[in-house]
Amino acid sequence: MSEIRPFAAADIPKVADMFQRILRKTDRPATPSLKAYLGELFLDPPDFDPDIVSLVHVRADGSVSGFLGALPMPMELNGMRLRAAVCGTMMVDGHAEDPFAGARLLRAFLAGPQDLSLTETANDVSTAMWRKMRATVLPDYSLEWLRVIRPAGFAAALAASRFGAAAMLAPLARPLDAFLHRQGKGTEPQWSHVAPENQNGAFSDTEADAERLLELFPALTANFPMRPQWQAETLRARIAHATRKANYGDGIRRVVSTRDGRAIGLFIYYGNKGGIGRVVQILAAPGQEGAVIDRMIDHAARRGLVALRGRVQPALLDAMMGRRIGFLHASSSIVHTRDPALIDLFRSGKAFFNGFAGESWARLIGDRFD
Amino acid sequence: MASSVETAIRAFIVENFLFGDESYKLTGETSLIDNDLIDSTGILELVTFLEERFSIRIADADIVPANLDSIARIDAFVNAKLGESAAA
Repeated sequence: MSEIRPFAAADIPKVADMFQRILRKTDRPATPSLKAYLGELFLDPPDFDPDIVSLVHVRADGSVSGFLGALPMPMELNGMRLRAAVCGTMMVDGHAEDPFAGARLLRAFLAGPQDLSLTETANDVSTAMWRKMRATVLPDYSLEWLRVIRPAGFAAALAASRFGAAAMLAPLARPLDAFLHRQGKGTEPQWSHVAPENQNGAFSDTEADAERLLELFPALTANFPMRPQWQAETLRARIAHATRKANYGDGIRRVVSTRDGRAIGLFIYYGNKGGIGRVVQILAAPGQEGAVIDRMIDHAARRGLVALRGRVQPALLDAMMGRRIGFLHASSSIVHTRDPALIDLFRSGKAFFNGFAGESWARLIGDRFD
Repeated sequence: MASSVETAIRAFIVENFLFGDESYKLTGETSLIDNDLIDSTGILELVTFLEERFSIRIADADIVPANLDSIARIDAFVNAKLGESAAA
């Protein structure tokens, strides 16, 4: 009889194979590097909890046909420790043969000992399944934001992502964007603008190494009533995982400071000149969200990126208004818990979730395993 | 004659998977999977319904086509579970 059981090292080759075919949509075999990483991430995750484990669906003949990656994440609420588990990678092979495999994996995961079950990458099918399990979809955490910096370059980059040959349009886009930039000077805030207070040099941004991030993450999330219970060792591990996302471009980690050197926020994004940058994390002291966003856009503009995109956090939404940022929905952030009071904290944006408090820090999102 | 369990199951399937279309030829043996009436999402809805409606606990290992692919199978499965509860 088929069963759900904990993921084990012996399952790695099959899970890596499914990852390539189902999620990466490629026929190329899984590399040793990918296999090693799957083992590292799901058998020895940064906040290892022996009771919160990744799961596999095993057919009656003993072959693995489904996987659900679980990442433990201790959280805290007013000094109280909560166990949270982030559902990362979820995939089923041969759906026609095992039509209930995905449902069984999700049900087994949600029946775990954690106080909170979370996901930030649920597609439409997964979202429907979570809903049926009485989970709560969080609209304010589920939106993607997009800030176009160079409109012509953005159009060319978007076209190139669909049709490779369209990359030849990029050289034509640059003079057009330069023209648009000159035309807009002296008028209302425009693409690649920097807010006046920043232009006066009130804020600056500097490169942040891992130790600086380690110091700032707890400080800049302290105002959220519910947040990860950051431990130096495990936060350091998450930062290390997030160092590289080769599919997105070079990694940028900057701290935004006032003139007197006080850190008011940080941003982490990946991207190269002419491309669309991916923002994995923005943190800001209360009231300084706009300044941090402005520094980030300015930094990306100076590096020649054509746009930035990232996941919304409710705490940033207000500051994003008026900064020519658009919003769209790509995947859903969802919470499942037996305690309605905890859901209210997510609904009201008082929980720090997504990005480093999710699964975006992991290399499976945006990195290559050549 | 249909049991009250079977009647409740049929009503649930017609309402939720056929959107109230009672003209659909849904026999006791009609495969819910082969006829695309149920998928991973639907099965979660069905299991939740069965647990709440009949006060039974459905284990993960019970969620297989052999137990849940037709009204007759679901009926037999639920009655077996109810029998277990009564015997306990």
